[in-house]
Amino acid sequence: MSTEIEPRPQDVDVTEDELEALIGDRAIGRDDHLNAPGFVINPDDVQDVLFDLRDEAGFDHLSCLTAQQYQDRYESIYHLKKYVDPTQEVSIVVPTTLDQPVSQSAEPVFRTADWHEREAFDLVGIDYEGHPDPRRILLPETWQGHPLSNDYDQTKPQLVTLSEHENPIQPDHVDSESDTMFLNVGPHHPATHGVLHIKAVLDGETVLDVDPDVGYLHRCEEQMCQQGTYRHQIMPYPDRWDYVSSGLLNEWAYARTAEDLADIEVPEYAQVIRTMGAELCRIASHMLALGTFALDVYGDFTAVFQYAFRDREVVQDILEDLTGQRLMFNYFRLGGVAWDLPEPREEFIAQTRDFLDELPAKVDEYNDLITSNEIFQIRCVDTGILEPEVAKEYGCTGPVARGSGVDIDLRRDDPYGYYENLEWDVVTEDGCDNYSRVLVRMQEVEESAKIIEQCLDLLEEWPEDEREVQANVPRTLKPDADTEVYRAVEGAKGELGIYIRSDGTDKPGRFKIRSPCFHNLSALEQMVQGEYIPDLIASLGSLDIVLGEVDR
Amino acid sequence: MSRGETAESLQIAGPLQVGEPLLPERISDITGLGEFGVAGELTAAFLAAFLVGNLMLAMTGVAGPWAKRKITAAFTDRIAVNRAGPAGLFIIVADAVRLLSKENIIPEDADRPAYDLAPIVVASSAMLGFAVIPMGSGVQLADPEVGLVFVFAVAGIASLGLVMAGYASANKYSMLGGLRAVAQNVAYEIPLVVTGMSVVIFAGSLQMSTIVDAQTQTLLDLGIVSIPAWYALVNPFAFVLFLVANFAEVGRNPFDTPEAPTEIVAGYQTEYSSVYFVLIYLGEFLHIFLGGAIIATIFLGGPAGPGPEQLGIVWFLIKIWGVFMLTQWLRSAVPRVRIDQLIEIGWKGLLVLSFANLVLTAVIVGLIA
Repeated sequence: MSTEIEPRPQDVDVTEDELEALIGDRAIGRDDHLNAPGFVINPDDVQDVLFDLRDEAGFDHLSCLTAQQYQDRYESIYHLKKYVDPTQEVSIVVPTTLDQPVSQSAEPVFRTADWHEREAFDLVGIDYEGHPDPRRILLPETWQGHPLSNDYDQTKPQLVTLSEHENPIQPDHVDSESDTMFLNVGPHHPATHGVLHIKAVLDGETVLDVDPDVGYLHRCEEQMCQQGTYRHQIMPYPDRWDYVSSGLLNEWAYARTAEDLADIEVPEYAQVIRTMGAELCRIASHMLALGTFALDVYGDFTAVFQYAFRDREVVQDILEDLTGQRLMFNYFRLGGVAWDLPEPREEFIAQTRDFLDELPAKVDEYNDLITSNEIFQIRCVDTGILEPEVAKEYGCTGPVARGSGVDIDLRRDDPYGYYENLEWDVVTEDGCDNYSRVLVRMQEVEESAKIIEQCLDLLEEWPEDEREVQANVPRTLKPDADTEVYRAVEGAKGELGIYIRSDGTDKPGRFKIRSPCFHNLSALEQMVQGEYIPDLIASLGSLDIVLGEVDR
Repeated sequence: MSRGETAESLQIAGPLQVGEPLLPERISDITGLGEFGVAGELTAAFLAAFLVGNLMLAMTGVAGPWAKRKITAAFTDRIAVNRAGPAGLFIIVADAVRLLSKENIIPEDADRPAYDLAPIVVASSAMLGFAVIPMGSGVQLADPEVGLVFVFAVAGIASLGLVMAGYASANKYSMLGGLRAVAQNVAYEIPLVVTGMSVVIFAGSLQMSTIVDAQTQTLLDLGIVSIPAWYALVNPFAFVLFLVANFAEVGRNPFDTPEAPTEIVAGYQTEYSSVYFVLIYLGEFLHIFLGGAIIATIFLGGPAGPGPEQLGIVWFLIKIWGVFMLTQWLRSAVPRVRIDQLIEIGWKGLLVLSFANLVLTAVIVGLIA
């Protein structure tokens, strides 16, 4: 056997020149983004180019697809990354004409493009040729027009009645001769974590196929953000995407993107506060994930759920002291945070330390109650399997990917905030099952506690005259026209990214949200085929989706 | 078994207060109804049944809206109902009014009258079982020789009610719940009965009062305290088996798959509202209590306990509530098993163990005798 192993394409750093050479003649222009080289290609070359980039250059993560309409053309932008190194990015820009917005589908290359392109079709109106399932995804099937296209009349209300819409309780849409049963799980069901509708095809108790129907909570957050000014009016919205206590993490996604776009430096002191706040949110979010997952497996609002909420409550109190709010924090500002730690400072720090001191005992309690429970183990080990390769294909990130052994964490791989200077570890588990995902979240709580501990030490010793919470940012921000940037942070659920194109005004020309839950949910169909109904519910719970973020 | 043999085996089993009157006879004696012949006896029997039935209903009334909430709250660091009356006890009245005044919504495609009968079958099958349970202090409605078989038989009727509810609701979740209920009951009824039979081998009778009397003997004399020969102590293995099979039989955690909220919404009872909902819930609680009563009777010495014999019924109720508390503890702390795992545990585990237990008991009893 040869000892020389050909390095995998992902592991090799690709320079811009090499990319240019790889794409070659197929590039009809350049459209560089702030942090990624951008290549313009013809709509017919999409699969060709993406295959090359994936197989030759190792770009195995289709992070986001942004579709938008200009005065003279439509544009689809594929934001590609590598799972091993998310700082290596490339954008593939595919323009199509106004009168014939047809572009080749990327679905054969990246499975995750399926939902991406459905969303692009739904909201902007680009057709993807060769797409296996060209339906609307967020809006009802009978909706007229595409809300983010230029000729859409946004003032005209649309009535979409149930009778016009596909009847959700129609008896069977499947072959009446077959032995299968069609079952609507949701939109009103005790275990759908919000308003989710899963169309399931069953053979007895075995799940043959699922088709998640999302969009019940769609508010077109992207459009709302496009109507707000960068400086103040957008920041409250991210709190409303993943609304179960991940607020600060979401705000950071916008803050990071906008700060990159407008070239704003954030004072270190503010970064430490941000880091601490974000990790508190992560603990709260993971506690909720743990509690609701236990609810799905245990079948009732049992002790575990209540304990998780009891402990989450402590975090909520700390966050309330810090930000003045329990749910919609609106605490970050471009260039820093709204205000310093609450006075009396010592009390706040002592209170937070108390929580951290009690945490190990609580985690032990959870391990006694949940992870070492034998019934829990037979329920969760080896169910809802998500192989690492499948997870990558579907664009899974966050604890879901890490539970499948995919070692990705933007806090470490694409550092921001104060994470670089702190001691902590990325947790991964190789089980690929529901059990691993629970373990990952429980260990991440402990890692977050480590981070908070270090932040508190720093904040305590920070010289009083250097406590600068906000940089000097102009009242009105007007980034240069046609600057484009895609930036992501590690949210509680995974890679939460935002794409902004500026149009020279004080409002974004295009604001696109890359929701981790959306992509994690798309992998559900792979996880539950052949499993039993209870495992369908458990797998859904282990994905820890929040419909506010899925639907946006 | 002939009459003579019964008497003989009874004598072997222990002291028997032969001819101790049952509750209907006592009532007819006290009220003088016995003088009116059969009609009088019948009235007395009705009165007795009315008393026992209402006792059980009252217990359910306390358990459902109040005790269950309080117990679960204690397990989960909460307070639960505390506004209406002392310790929130008046919530029972409030809930009764609320539940009964709700609109009874019946699905368009429901298969009637099966849909209407199911809740009644579920509730009444459990009630019937109490007819032969000796509750102490002379409270026992009837004492047939086949008492134990009778209890298992009538409790088993509940499965029929669940299936009826399942298919008649015209709801897929109900259907799944109904199917799960049958699969589960079939899988667990056999180990339940077989384990119950091992007690019969000890007692030598199916008659409830005989089984209770057999447990009044002393197992161990420790000077001041003498430990009675309760079958839970004589054969703890059978006791555990029976306990597990019983939880599966009445569909409590971790075996509550026929209802399985979060999976199949509420299983067979998804479509039931108002009075029907109350009846189904009543049935469920009665089944838990009946399960507790059977366990108390054949494993925990029935109404036996310290103090005068008149306190028998108090001890008996305490034992029933003990079993109820156990179900609530499990509900708060144990995850639900999956339906296929449940069936597997039943057929591959409990069934084999219960037969092993039966054979072992037979051998031991045979050797000693």
